[in-house]
Amino acid sequence: MLEEARSRWHPIAAAHDLPFRHVFHGQLLGREFAVWRADDGYVNIWENRCLHRGVRLSIGINDGRELKCQYHGWRYSNRTAGCTYIPAHPADAPARTITNRTFPAVERYGLVWSSEEPLGEVPDVAGLAEGKLLALRGIAVNAPADQVVERLKAYRFQPNGAIDGDAAETLIEAAQDFAVALRSRDGAAETLGVFFVQPADSNRSVIRGVLDRDAEGSAHIAVLRHHNERLSRLRDEAERDMANAPAPAPIEPVYERVSAELAEMPELTAHGRKAALRVTVARKWQTADGIAGFELRPIKGILPTFQPGAHIDVHMPNGEIRQYSITNGPGETDSFVIGVKLERDSKGGSKCMHETVREGDVLAISEPRNNFPLRRDAIKTIFVAGGIGITPLLAMAQALNNQELTHELHYFAQGEEHLAFADRLRALGDALKPHLGFSPDETGAELRRVLTGYRNGMHLYICGPGPMLEAARKIAAEQGWPDSAVHFEYFKNTNKIDDSSSFEVALARSCVTLQVPAGKTILQVMRESGIDVPSSCEQGACGTCMATVIEGEPDHQDVYLNDAERKAGTKIMTCVSRAKSARLVLDI
Amino acid sequence: MITLYDYELSGNCYKLRLLMSFLGIDHKTVPIDFYPGREHKSEWFLKLNPLGQLPVIEDDGLILRDAQAILVYLASKYDPSGKWYPRDNPALLGEISQWLAFADGITATASAARLHDALFYDFDIDAARAGAHRLFRILDEHLWFGEQQGRDWICSAAHPTIADIACFPYIMLSEEGGIPRQDYPAIRRWCDRVKRIKGFIVMSGVFPAGPARAAA
Repeated sequence: MLEEARSRWHPIAAAHDLPFRHVFHGQLLGREFAVWRADDGYVNIWENRCLHRGVRLSIGINDGRELKCQYHGWRYSNRTAGCTYIPAHPADAPARTITNRTFPAVERYGLVWSSEEPLGEVPDVAGLAEGKLLALRGIAVNAPADQVVERLKAYRFQPNGAIDGDAAETLIEAAQDFAVALRSRDGAAETLGVFFVQPADSNRSVIRGVLDRDAEGSAHIAVLRHHNERLSRLRDEAERDMANAPAPAPIEPVYERVSAELAEMPELTAHGRKAALRVTVARKWQTADGIAGFELRPIKGILPTFQPGAHIDVHMPNGEIRQYSITNGPGETDSFVIGVKLERDSKGGSKCMHETVREGDVLAISEPRNNFPLRRDAIKTIFVAGGIGITPLLAMAQALNNQELTHELHYFAQGEEHLAFADRLRALGDALKPHLGFSPDETGAELRRVLTGYRNGMHLYICGPGPMLEAARKIAAEQGWPDSAVHFEYFKNTNKIDDSSSFEVALARSCVTLQVPAGKTILQVMRESGIDVPSSCEQGACGTCMATVIEGEPDHQDVYLNDAERKAGTKIMTCVSRAKSARLVLDI
Repeated sequence: MITLYDYELSGNCYKLRLLMSFLGIDHKTVPIDFYPGREHKSEWFLKLNPLGQLPVIEDDGLILRDAQAILVYLASKYDPSGKWYPRDNPALLGEISQWLAFADGITATASAARLHDALFYDFDIDAARAGAHRLFRILDEHLWFGEQQGRDWICSAAHPTIADIACFPYIMLSEEGGIPRQDYPAIRRWCDRVKRIKGFIVMSGVFPAGPARAAA
């Protein structure tokens, strides 16, 4: 019976067991769950072990958006259960394979239902209408579920309307493997009680009773006490019997190492940029002058995990591909919200998004990729945003705001009407510092003021138009900020690419040597030889196609690497950069 | 200044550290090598407390033993709000005393199980665990009905009392004695509430809670 029980839905908690900012400790068929309700109401049911060291997540911290493990502080996102931050690796974006196993959650009849491998939907229970029910206190019993069900068939109770009486007749209305429906009548009073038995383990069960109606006023507590008392008695009798019988061996749950979907290698395609996801434009709105906001919802299933700083490729109806940062706050995983600025000299990207794409349209997007990860170990973080450069920094500021980490968001824009995502900005409170209508010189002076007072442990994140970004980086350097504390993201690479060189590229892992002729990129040549390398912007701005250089001297033409990284010569953007030496050896 | 004869791993000493932190009372600590040194059974310590138990405090020449007794003393003397031990509310004082005695029961069971598992004490472990489960069932039921009636704390006041402090440590540490709290969801929620009292501090084995949701 228990083997078959895996495919059924079982109640694992009462809805009232899941207040906000709490983690409930549940169990079904031997498998433990960490169950938590996010601030957006979503109920997460996860395997109760941190993917890092196996510590129970049920002792973790529910911060309303993410669940933090108590042991080493790994953070997992609402809904996706993907890891968003590893404190011991503050500069890195966690791999997508670090995703905890999730189980389906449905709230119905005042209970929270789940299943290991559910067939079909949560069953309809005859006689229980949603809305006016009364969920009783769950009673844990140290006895197998089938024995508890047998005892429940003989359970007797008074209907709500005659709770003080003692003359009720209780009839079995239905009985199944894990539930008994009983109707109690006393004169005109009548109550239907459905008693579900949750098989927590081979020898542990929880009786979760639901009555078909609530009772008003003081009768409410009286009814709850009535059942609590009688069900506790039933429990004591069941446990007394079990005391003499040998306890069955506990059920050993099977732990998946990593889900099949995550374990698979992505499909090989001739085209390097993949749009694995389909989303609908749930909402399109003018979020600021010249900036359209798009809310993208998955057509089915849930969206993958993102971290602040991550971007997606949007594949547009006109065939163009553009990168947009995800502006969402942590744990906000039901949709991706992006902001698109209409560029005057648009080559079709932003124009298409503004003029062609409408609400209800379907778009193909890539999985989120994070080449602009946010450290959360800074003593203070300063964000400098110019115009539409607000988008990645907005996601970052919301993450730090949620964790109450010190930060300032300096937002440079032409005027009030150019400030995008006003509602999200408002939620940041005093951390938001708008700087409006400044000329380039005034911006420089303001930046000098903002960037004074560097102390070891502070970090700076900059995103904005090229000239402003250059100025900010220069001023930061003048004010004593080391390269390692200054993080930036360009929208695009405005360098004129010189692709006149030709050279040899040896791919050490693939054991292939290729010739890169003038006019072709390393990336193109690798793809033509069937070597799949991820890429996104393909103009040296986003960092997706970065490779490690083992030997040779790179000819950097990107805007992703900082000066120290360029000098070190150990990384290269294969989409634009080339070789100064005759030969490059890459770790691919 | 108050002197606390203290052992970091003792839940009973932690009760006093907790209350003093809630009340913002400065104090001095004298660490006692409870394990493996058994300093609480040493000649000099037995002069302070012939029972040879922790904690003990010294305050203004008064030497006091027993965690619950010291909670009563400290709250009576140092809590200007009068909430932790409301001396002018007989019914509440009765309730508090009832649950202080209950806390002694928790010490005799859950703490004993922990001493058995962690510090190799020769106790009847099955009896200790069964006894703790019996008490936890009673407390979980009490707290569950409290929640149903809008009461957050062990006693029927709108604020925590020393009864909450007295019951908290050895419940939180019960897993170290092989006593899971999975079947006591109302206790687990109450533990979150205790951890969110302003001034809450942790001890080894007790983890902090995150902030509560801000009122919308």
